[in-house]
Amino acid sequence: MSQLNASDIQGFVLRGYTFPVARFLFLEISEHAAGRKLIESLVDEVTTGERWDKKPDSTLNIAFTYQGLVRLKLPDAALMSFPVEFFQGMKARREILCDVERNAPEHWDPIWREGRVHIWLGVYAQSPAILEDRCRNLQQRITATGGAAIVGTQDAAALVIDGKVTSKEHFGYTDGFGNPDYQGVERNSQPGQGKLMPDGSWAPLETGELLLGYPDEGGELPVAPVPHVLAINGTFMVYRKLHQNVATFRRYLKEKSQLYSGGEEKLAAKFVGRWRDGTPLELSPDRPDPAIVKDNQRNVNFTFGKDLAGTRCPIGAHVRRTNPRDAFGFNGNLVNRRRITRRGLPYGTFTPWDQPGADDGEHGVVFMVLNASIFRQFEFVQQQWVEYGNDARQGNDKDLLLGNHGGRGKVMIQGTEDPNNPPFLCGGLPNFVELRGGDYFFMPGITALRLIAAGGIDPR
Amino acid sequence: MADRNGSVYGLTILSPILEDTKAQVCHSVALRRHLAGLPRNESGPFAKIEGTHMCRLVVMDDVFYPGFPSKVEHLKSSYLFFEANFDGDRDLYLKRMARTAPAHVDEIWRHCVGFPGTKDVAAFIAYMKKCQITTTFYFADVNDKSVTDTLRALQVQAALAAFIERHQGRSPAGLKQSFARFWEQLRSAPRPTPGARETTTLPCFAGEPPSRIAEVTEAVNEGGK
Repeated sequence: MSQLNASDIQGFVLRGYTFPVARFLFLEISEHAAGRKLIESLVDEVTTGERWDKKPDSTLNIAFTYQGLVRLKLPDAALMSFPVEFFQGMKARREILCDVERNAPEHWDPIWREGRVHIWLGVYAQSPAILEDRCRNLQQRITATGGAAIVGTQDAAALVIDGKVTSKEHFGYTDGFGNPDYQGVERNSQPGQGKLMPDGSWAPLETGELLLGYPDEGGELPVAPVPHVLAINGTFMVYRKLHQNVATFRRYLKEKSQLYSGGEEKLAAKFVGRWRDGTPLELSPDRPDPAIVKDNQRNVNFTFGKDLAGTRCPIGAHVRRTNPRDAFGFNGNLVNRRRITRRGLPYGTFTPWDQPGADDGEHGVVFMVLNASIFRQFEFVQQQWVEYGNDARQGNDKDLLLGNHGGRGKVMIQGTEDPNNPPFLCGGLPNFVELRGGDYFFMPGITALRLIAAGGIDPR
Repeated sequence: MADRNGSVYGLTILSPILEDTKAQVCHSVALRRHLAGLPRNESGPFAKIEGTHMCRLVVMDDVFYPGFPSKVEHLKSSYLFFEANFDGDRDLYLKRMARTAPAHVDEIWRHCVGFPGTKDVAAFIAYMKKCQITTTFYFADVNDKSVTDTLRALQVQAALAAFIERHQGRSPAGLKQSFARFWEQLRSAPRPTPGARETTTLPCFAGEPPSRIAEVTEAVNEGGK
């Protein structure tokens, strides 16, 4: 397909901004007329997907919950055409997502329990000072229009470790590899990021796996609201605030590594499928290799087909579970409709390596997913590949890192007869990560956004 | 044979539901109410019938044609649809149904035309066979293993995982000794019964959570002696 109209697509959808700081503002719309005025006042500064000649100081993007669209008085015909999971919202989907027990809504931040969030505003900036400026300015205008009240904010920032801004998360893993490539999206493609072709090369996924209004991997248009102009160039976003139990993670890793003859760092790598510096285990099973991490031709370019026993990268490792590539056979075709684009940034400060860390306090990852179908993509990955193990022939076992284990989880780390790569069973797994809330959002294209602001969506 | 897939039998029964215009509550409604009240988990009445992988009961009022051009079609009556996938022989299974859950079977099928009851087992089997239609699709969950084999495999898997978790890192001598003990217990462990939710916890794993460093270290030392 030809190039997409990037000026009609929100920039957040097409690229990870790689800014060091961000703030997410959560708004409750007061009533439709003032709410629309507010959106109208913001539309012109929403960051689009157009190529940057010069990287801006900051960015702004916008998305709505279903209740937000109701409050804005979208026509009933449009409201009733949205997919059911978006209409219900994330809280109502908790059983499907295994957001129960320690991940249940009663443990969420109050803002996500109350259902008052109508608008997500994402502001990314080059520095904390710029972020403050931009947010102050936004806040003034939000107040001036009276269209909405800010009911909460969430700051996020790249972790600073030993004085350096990093792309690590709180457990010490380098994060942010391997988002999929899509047809028509201008981006430096990397082998390993799209779909696996029969000749072993990689090709971009169909645009409709990310954006509404375009054919998807099934050769059809994704389920989308009507009219078409409301849907095209839009997408759905999942927002999840994932708290990280740093103390539990460090304690568990230390305790288990005393029994694991491969050593602590290797065990940490086996949890995720990458060494903590980001080296894929599949490419370098015995040691981290910074040359691979730096090499865009190699750092996501691997398959599991020759490691079906999981002796290099365990079958239950996080990266293998969430993107099994060719591990289920059929040359990888089974995963092409389950890919998600991730945007994430940590919140809270990093605990120095030599300290035990804490479970309480505010530290984790703001995890955001962009996909054409929350049901088919994010929810499937979460339900079947993170919280269940049948597809990977791992029975009831869950994703070691993300699973809602409740202290009862186990994951087998496959190994060989080599004493440095022994089989090992991680039992009594606690929750390393816990959910603190979030919701499902619709992130419209720019034309649709203008029509929403103008109250101009065809009522049919 | 379309009713059999490997060692698994797929039994599909369509029993016409009684029509009694004088009844205060019609049979299909009464049957639906009764079915809705049955437990769907391991305490369901059919879970206890030996060899049952899965079963399903549905009240089918009529058929509809979803294609184009639309067409209106009707069944001669409403039906009780019963589907069961089980191990082994059909007649033996029907006999087990009549013997293991007679009250439940009677309570359900009493709403159906010509049902003779379960007391006369031969008559019951003959009735069910008369209502049988060919099964062509199966719920592909069993990999040709019997219910008993599957439950036993899960029991062994859970026990072995617990054993490994508790003993990994031990000296070969200690490991060998513990494994011999474990193996003996596992061999003589009572087999899980059909419908059991939890696989049996072996006595050596009851209580304490496994794999505490201190315990293991102690065990390693012991094993080394």
